[in-house]
Amino acid sequence: MTLSLAGLIANESLGAVSAQTGIVSRNISGASVQGYSAKIPQLVTSDHGTPSIVGVARQADSALLKSLLAANAEQAGSTAVSDGLRRIEQFLNVALDGPSAVDSSASPAAAISNLSSALQAYSASPNDPIAADNALARAKDLAKSLNGASGMIQDVRQQADQSIQQSVAHVNDVLAKFERVNKDIVVGMAAKADVTDMLDERDRLLSELSTEIGIATVQRPSGDMVIYTDGGVTLFEMTPRAVSFQPTPSFAAATPGAGVQIDGVRVVGAPNSQLAARSGRLVGLAQLRDELAPRFQTQVDEVARGLVQAFSESDQTGSGAPTLPGLFTYDGATVSPGPGAITGLAARIIVNPTVDPAQGGDSSRLRDGGASSPGAPEYVYNATGASGFSDRLLQLVDALAAPQAFDAAAGLRLQDSVASFAADSMGWLAAQRQQVETKQTFQSAVVNQTSQALSNASGVNLDDQMSKMLALENSYQASAKLLAAVNAMYSTLFEAIRV
Amino acid sequence: MSTTFGLFNTSVMGMSAQSDALAAVAENIANSSTVGYKEATTHFLTVLNGFQNSGEFGGGVTTRNRYEIPTQGALQSTSSATDLAIHGAGFFVVSDDSGATYLTRAGSFAPDAEGRLVNSAGYYLMGYAADGAPSASSTNSLTSMSVVRIRNDKLFATPTTAGALTANLPAGATVVAPAALPSTNGAGAQFSAKTSITVYDNLGAPVILDVFFAKTGANTWEASAFNKADAAPGGGFPYANPALVTQTVAFDPANGNLLSGSPISLSVPGGGTMSLDIADATQLGAAFSVQSVNVNGNGASSVREVMFASDGTLSYLLENGQSIPAYKIGLANVNSPVNLTSESGNVFVANGDSGQVFVGLPGTAGFGRILSSKLESSTVDLATQLSSMIVAQRAFTANSQSFQVASEILQVLNNLK
Repeated sequence: MTLSLAGLIANESLGAVSAQTGIVSRNISGASVQGYSAKIPQLVTSDHGTPSIVGVARQADSALLKSLLAANAEQAGSTAVSDGLRRIEQFLNVALDGPSAVDSSASPAAAISNLSSALQAYSASPNDPIAADNALARAKDLAKSLNGASGMIQDVRQQADQSIQQSVAHVNDVLAKFERVNKDIVVGMAAKADVTDMLDERDRLLSELSTEIGIATVQRPSGDMVIYTDGGVTLFEMTPRAVSFQPTPSFAAATPGAGVQIDGVRVVGAPNSQLAARSGRLVGLAQLRDELAPRFQTQVDEVARGLVQAFSESDQTGSGAPTLPGLFTYDGATVSPGPGAITGLAARIIVNPTVDPAQGGDSSRLRDGGASSPGAPEYVYNATGASGFSDRLLQLVDALAAPQAFDAAAGLRLQDSVASFAADSMGWLAAQRQQVETKQTFQSAVVNQTSQALSNASGVNLDDQMSKMLALENSYQASAKLLAAVNAMYSTLFEAIRV
Repeated sequence: MSTTFGLFNTSVMGMSAQSDALAAVAENIANSSTVGYKEATTHFLTVLNGFQNSGEFGGGVTTRNRYEIPTQGALQSTSSATDLAIHGAGFFVVSDDSGATYLTRAGSFAPDAEGRLVNSAGYYLMGYAADGAPSASSTNSLTSMSVVRIRNDKLFATPTTAGALTANLPAGATVVAPAALPSTNGAGAQFSAKTSITVYDNLGAPVILDVFFAKTGANTWEASAFNKADAAPGGGFPYANPALVTQTVAFDPANGNLLSGSPISLSVPGGGTMSLDIADATQLGAAFSVQSVNVNGNGASSVREVMFASDGTLSYLLENGQSIPAYKIGLANVNSPVNLTSESGNVFVANGDSGQVFVGLPGTAGFGRILSSKLESSTVDLATQLSSMIVAQRAFTANSQSFQVASEILQVLNNLK
């Protein structure tokens, strides 16, 4: 140990303390930044006792980050589903409670019960044309409600499809950013530079990515990171893999949605591949578009088919004429549909123009029959033409409440009355929505908890930083004092020479 | 009488010796901040009068100067990666413009316009090109060293030759019919798992390999690799060219570990033969997932900066973040470093007293380690030098007093007449 060395050590110590002070000030300024992790200077003592900063580490918790990524993906998925379901439900319910008379029966179930009441009122006074008009208006409401519900379902599917496209664009965008940051980290780590801020940025990008699709990451020795979807498909390895999606311009009930391809493998959308992604917004949107909304569509289609069936007119003369659609019909309907879903029927169902005076029909056909083929005597129920004939109307009211067969694809009861089937369908929608919202609430709590835990584990604790700063201040003073002492000793030597 | 005249001689020799000591102190103080400078020390030796009888005094003194070359200087940090210091024994081998080699510990190197690493005294650092690294037994191969030149003017690429992939294949996957296996390259080929790996061809262009795994039966799988560039529009089958490799992989039903099928050897399109190690792959009852994937080789890229490892490896850090070894900086030493001849510029030359130069790699027996971003400071301690100066000054004064006394004695003698 020599005096020169003592001076050198004091000098290096001052440098090390100022570098650490720089890191403390970085930590303090980053304390309120989302995703900033506390930085820790890495000091070593080299051979002659001189301290030097060899690098900067960060306080990170990879296990918690992994949980956060998973929770993010789950939450984003259920949010996408619940948003879509809520839109359909709100359309039906808000319209139901709304002031507008036209929309007052937007829910098919409510519209059926309105129609049933109107028919009953009509049957009580079969010769009253106002009651006939009222029943006809309710029937039109019901057709409109089914058309509206079907339109809404397809609109939700369309929107989900567009959101998938936006999500895919977002994923590609994030991956492009990820590539740059990842490369900087690899270069920086190889050059032993401080890459902690870039690591924070990379974690932030991962978290952004995880809301779109569930991911798993693999870290390579060089600091390079590889991203896979939670289904195992390569999303990023040295370069981003192509994430592609062909949006469907418009949706009808029978239109299938396109799938999302990553690295040449279909990861989202039916039919499910073995490598399908399991969570994330993309998965939620695809579930809404390809599974839940079509299921509800099948249900309203079945309601429409059940109505056509319930109001169908059969041969009254025994001449063997086929049963034909009566009050409710649809384009191209020749014979009354039997059990089995007709895709998109809800969008096509109309009130038979032969019953509608506005379209040249006659509303009394509701009471007398013959709506299916005006003029044909086989379908006239009121053969005598009595103005007090109510048998057919009561038959119709009964038909609404009578059990009939429904398609298993609707996922509801197989034998049910059309009124109860429509109510069940609304109940199914509400239950689905509630179920996914419960899941979403739970997952939001998990996300909040996890990000809180992550922030506690890796974030900046201001008290810590302040105490570190005090320690650094003391250390700086001590080193400066040491320099002063070395200086004083030299002065003594110089004094000795001067004498 | 001889004693009186001898007094003059002795004191003059004493003054001369102290002047030498002062000169050494002055040189030391002047070089107290010179990187790689070794403190000069003055050693005093008695010189006896040849006519002296025993019991008589009057001998003189002479000095031997030497540089304390083996002393380790303190290492100070710098911000330049090409500043090198040796911790332990050994010297950098440097050469001047004429090609003559020297030894030095002054490691303040910086690249010149041609990329050669030159220190502040103008000497060029020498090393072994990475492909010509000496074996441990090669102890004297100064001739195989060349001037280290950082190739900033060139792109570098290394083709991929090896890789490792660790993945779990789902034990419960459905068996793929032989007609639909990926190896058939049919449009509707089925597979249970797919991953893709970036490798590099001979020209450093990235080639992405699509690796498919399809279950062919209980515990047997077919692994096949395709060039992604050949994929059908939108990715997937059929590929324009058949599979690069198709290999049957078998797993142990007892524990899900790989039984056979590793490594997979394939020819990278436009590149060399690559051996993909999948020895750690498993077939367990979990979904497909990749645990690690690593390949060697690097894409065409220019040099961003140079890095030094303590074993003397000089690596180029390329723009794409990969690093490739370029040189091994060898160290040289002699049996008696203290006897090396010093020349201007803090360089040393071997001579008969020091022994022959021998070379070796840093960190091996007898050689120190190379540290980057460090410089070896001068071994001079100012305080020691200042105190030595005072001592030498006082000793010089004392010698001059002896001279004065001798002179006065002669004066007295002269006055006797």
